[in-house]
Amino acid sequence: MLLVSSGQVKAQDAAAPAGGGDAEKGKTLFTNNCAQCHSVTGEKVVGPGLKGIETRAPSKDWLHKWIKNSSALIATGDAYANQVFNANGKIQMSSFPSLSDADIDGILAYIDGANKAPAPGPTATTDGTSSAPAAAASSGPSELFTFVLIALLLVMLLVLGVLLAIVSILSKAVSPITAEDVTVVTSTFGQRLKTGLSDAFNNPTLRSIVIWLFLLVAAKETFDGAYSIGIQQGYAPKQPIAYSHKLHAGQYKIDCNYCHTGAQKGKNATIPAANICMNCHGVIKKESPEIQKIYTAIEENRPIEWVRVHNLPDLAYFNHSQHVNVGNVACQTCHGEIEKMEVVEARSSLTMGWCIDCHRRTEVNTKDNAYYDKLVALHRKESKEPLKVANIGGLECSKCHY
Amino acid sequence: MITKHTSITALAVIGLLVAGTSCKRGHDNTGVEYAPQMYDAVGYEPYRQIKPNTINPQGLNMRLPARGTVARPNYHTTFGEGSEAKTDLMMYNIPADSIGIAERVLINPIPETEKSMAEGQVLYTRYCSHCHGQTGKGDGPVAAQYKGVPNYATDAYKTLNDGHIFHVITHGKGRMWPHGSQITPEDRWKIVQYVHKLQQG
Repeated sequence: MLLVSSGQVKAQDAAAPAGGGDAEKGKTLFTNNCAQCHSVTGEKVVGPGLKGIETRAPSKDWLHKWIKNSSALIATGDAYANQVFNANGKIQMSSFPSLSDADIDGILAYIDGANKAPAPGPTATTDGTSSAPAAAASSGPSELFTFVLIALLLVMLLVLGVLLAIVSILSKAVSPITAEDVTVVTSTFGQRLKTGLSDAFNNPTLRSIVIWLFLLVAAKETFDGAYSIGIQQGYAPKQPIAYSHKLHAGQYKIDCNYCHTGAQKGKNATIPAANICMNCHGVIKKESPEIQKIYTAIEENRPIEWVRVHNLPDLAYFNHSQHVNVGNVACQTCHGEIEKMEVVEARSSLTMGWCIDCHRRTEVNTKDNAYYDKLVALHRKESKEPLKVANIGGLECSKCHY
Repeated sequence: MITKHTSITALAVIGLLVAGTSCKRGHDNTGVEYAPQMYDAVGYEPYRQIKPNTINPQGLNMRLPARGTVARPNYHTTFGEGSEAKTDLMMYNIPADSIGIAERVLINPIPETEKSMAEGQVLYTRYCSHCHGQTGKGDGPVAAQYKGVPNYATDAYKTLNDGHIFHVITHGKGRMWPHGSQITPEDRWKIVQYVHKLQQG
């Protein structure tokens, strides 16, 4: 009997070194119930790391009681329970009354086993193989880059050559070289420029070319400038806090509506107040200097002065909920790929032509909306085209200007 | 030699033209406005301030609403239809530290329908899923940074009732911060319904 039992213990040694618990079951239980706040190593997550928990805690019985209901244990005045509670920021641990003593033993066995397990070997080999193709891939674009660069240089040289040829032909045609010109070689750069300018000025062909070029460029600039009045496309001001939409909306996939709570409900999409930042940053990256700016603003009870990027003139009315909630228009339709922007930039021109163009193209989302039933029926009598925003007053002046 | 002079001159002219046309306004510049008096509102507008506000504290254009005021747009007090209709003012004064009272007293006033459940799912995705995960397993993209996000379907969480969930959304609990300012009570109750569904795993 003794021999058999010791043999069993040896066989189980790797799986359940602590004795008694089922480490396999313990692993599942740990992932489902504990991993959110505890790590199996010594690293603190929310609660302390659990490496060596059995030697640290007063007894296994104490651990059973603590896991099943920690608040009750603290309430009994248990010295170690109160010490643990105070040392971990007085965050109450969830109670797990449904875990049996055997379940808890299984979890403890898993923690013990995980700490004894040798460091995984295969990771080193996979790292080695993966780095080789990565290096090859990185050298690919650089070759292409050099090629493009050389091609560009060649084109530039060609253009320069052609330009020089034209200029020399022009000047030869105008005045042949005389002995007087040779003497100029010794003169200073200023004198040479002066003679050059006077020569060019006295040359009617060159003069007319320059005048025409100037007129054309000036005309183009004037028209472009006139059309860009009041348009702020490309406006990307520096904000008081270097907030990145790329990180929050792109990488962490936080919904736009989480912070811009008004977009679905009202005229303004709303800029989040500091309390919404704090929903995460009360815990995450508190030490970052950018996030410390939020803390300072809250301590000083002072609003953060974000710079408005999309400025629609007061003469035009725009309502977010009308477009986002009723019209089902995605934020990106007007704001561009916000989830890829490090600094928010005005991507759309916000001109009247831009609004009207979309109203002409966009079909009204009439599905499952009784409000539109009669309108759709009326529209069908007159036209075979689907009901567009333009058909329900999207082009009326007074819809936006009043 | 004339070639040299002319080419220098030609290069200078081309250079000037290129310099003249390549001037673009910087990213910090809003550009020129024509008739700004038609662009800028006369009254105080939220999120837009041309001149400093000298009346309100800290120069804010917006002020906090008076304590206890209720926003009337989309404010519903009757839920359900016919004889099952319930009236609820959607006002909760249970303090943050009284989660026990919330657990005993609160009952979801919104009857569970397919529509309310679908709305609950949309709201859950919007306000909760980046931490709690699409299926409530605590595996959202933010949870990896945040740590300590529970799995709704585990023993300690799968039996939590209406009042508890509503109270936690409103006032927060443990590491979760209060979300009452972002989500209306009606929307919170719809989220509670959907969370009950996720608790079943």
